[in-house]
Amino acid sequence: MQNLTNEIVDKGLEVLNGHMDGKLLTHLNSCVHCGLCADSCVYYQAQPDARFIPAKKVDLVASIYRRYKTTTGKIFPGLVGARELNRETIDEMIDLLYGACTMCGRCVSHCSVGVDISYVVRKGREMLANMGFVPRTLQSTVDAAIQTGNNMGIATQEFIDTLKWLEEDLQYEVNDDTATIPLNEPGKDILYTLNPREPKFFPLSISAMAKVFFAAKESWTLSTQMYDVTNYAYYSGNLQEAAIIAQRLHDEMLKLQAKTCVLAECGHGSRAFRWEGPNYIQKNYPFEVITSVELLAKYIREGRIRLDPAKNRDKVTLHDPCNLARSGGIWKEQRYILKEAVSDFVEMNPYGLDNLCCGGGGGQLAMSEYNERRMKIGELKAEQIRKTGAKIVATPCHNCVDQLSQLNVTFKLGVQIKTLVEIVADALVLENR
Amino acid sequence: MPKIEIENRVFEVDGDGFLSDPNLWDKDVARLIAKYDGIEEMNEKHWAIVNIIRKNFEEKGMAPMIRTICQETGLRLREIYELFPLGPARGACRVAGLPKPDGCV
Repeated sequence: MQNLTNEIVDKGLEVLNGHMDGKLLTHLNSCVHCGLCADSCVYYQAQPDARFIPAKKVDLVASIYRRYKTTTGKIFPGLVGARELNRETIDEMIDLLYGACTMCGRCVSHCSVGVDISYVVRKGREMLANMGFVPRTLQSTVDAAIQTGNNMGIATQEFIDTLKWLEEDLQYEVNDDTATIPLNEPGKDILYTLNPREPKFFPLSISAMAKVFFAAKESWTLSTQMYDVTNYAYYSGNLQEAAIIAQRLHDEMLKLQAKTCVLAECGHGSRAFRWEGPNYIQKNYPFEVITSVELLAKYIREGRIRLDPAKNRDKVTLHDPCNLARSGGIWKEQRYILKEAVSDFVEMNPYGLDNLCCGGGGGQLAMSEYNERRMKIGELKAEQIRKTGAKIVATPCHNCVDQLSQLNVTFKLGVQIKTLVEIVADALVLENR
Repeated sequence: MPKIEIENRVFEVDGDGFLSDPNLWDKDVARLIAKYDGIEEMNEKHWAIVNIIRKNFEEKGMAPMIRTICQETGLRLREIYELFPLGPARGACRVAGLPKPDGCV
């Protein structure tokens, strides 16, 4: 690892300049140490070690703030628990802020005074990113996105070949040559995005969405240049890189003159582009951005697609991605969709805004060094699923899908994990044309 | 560096169980990792998938697209998911001795 010079430390401390960020200042100074957050945290539930208590993670960042940004902390650091930003502190920050938090925000909704704990954790990650301490395993996915235009490094021709292959399959399935997967067509109503894991390894959700678009007679296109809905720099905390990625999708929308950008089922991607993106790139979007979850609900509500719930007879439960539900407030739409698309729906406990994180969020899937913790907290989710007796777990997030699939095998749940659009496509009633 | 031990052979792996050094891979290693994942016997279809992944990795430095795997093996998509319950990445690529792919896998 690199030597810790004053220059590097200063880069980390830049994030704590209160005059730049009043919200951070408030939230660093508000914790009343009531301890209510402890039991809300999946890390603490899975391993009751005091280090994992969310308030401790806030205090870690706050202690550095006190050391460098308050008068008492500068003169009598010991009196106010102020900490030097040194090697030891940095190691602890890496371990707790990257390795023991998915930024799921459950603690935030349980906090007695409303401290935005995951925001403080994110700021801590920004400090680490500024100093060059992003875990290599996480950074490599950011690098792939920046260097190749998508986070799995898929070559453009391979992407095109895959979509042509899926298009042939679609035409066969709906028995109609006019069913297409349009590429780079300007002036459409919708520019649809994908998680690169779909074309690379799990294309059933692309086929499902194309089938839904066909049924809804939608005017849509994909871009072969910029289709990646993810933004791993949201996880790493490198705002410059987050801005580069968000800017590309913004520019592609303008280039293709689409009216609405529809984000594929991706929790952090929705958060990073729709809700945080304008802050990254420092301007408002001149177009609409919605998630595909909202679009599917809209199609059903407006009668643009017709579903027969009898086509999905197995019992289905739903996992709420933290970034979409708790952070984005999108949690009713997926329930409406499932009630229309399946005949037997059951909730987990807890669910919706109070749902437990699957354990794969916050970049955990990428950081294999924390795999053991990820599986430990995932066990809580596995037990939640088991108790529902469901055969299918629906979740509108590819990151959650991957974690849940691993939990399914590891804890022998015997379920199927599906995105919402796959379930909707299975229930579609295609009219005769 | 974590290690896994299967039938008295010890391998250095990353936290997700992907081989740290892809060059240490051979067919025996593939069999052992598969066994670790609960695939008792690698059948012809398993080998067809693993071989195409390995070949692509050696030529292009990364796992092939699922389309390539389907087209070159003649297997259907759902069959691949059934053969490797952990999926093409955490399942098949790991058995083929590749490093963990980037992205949401």
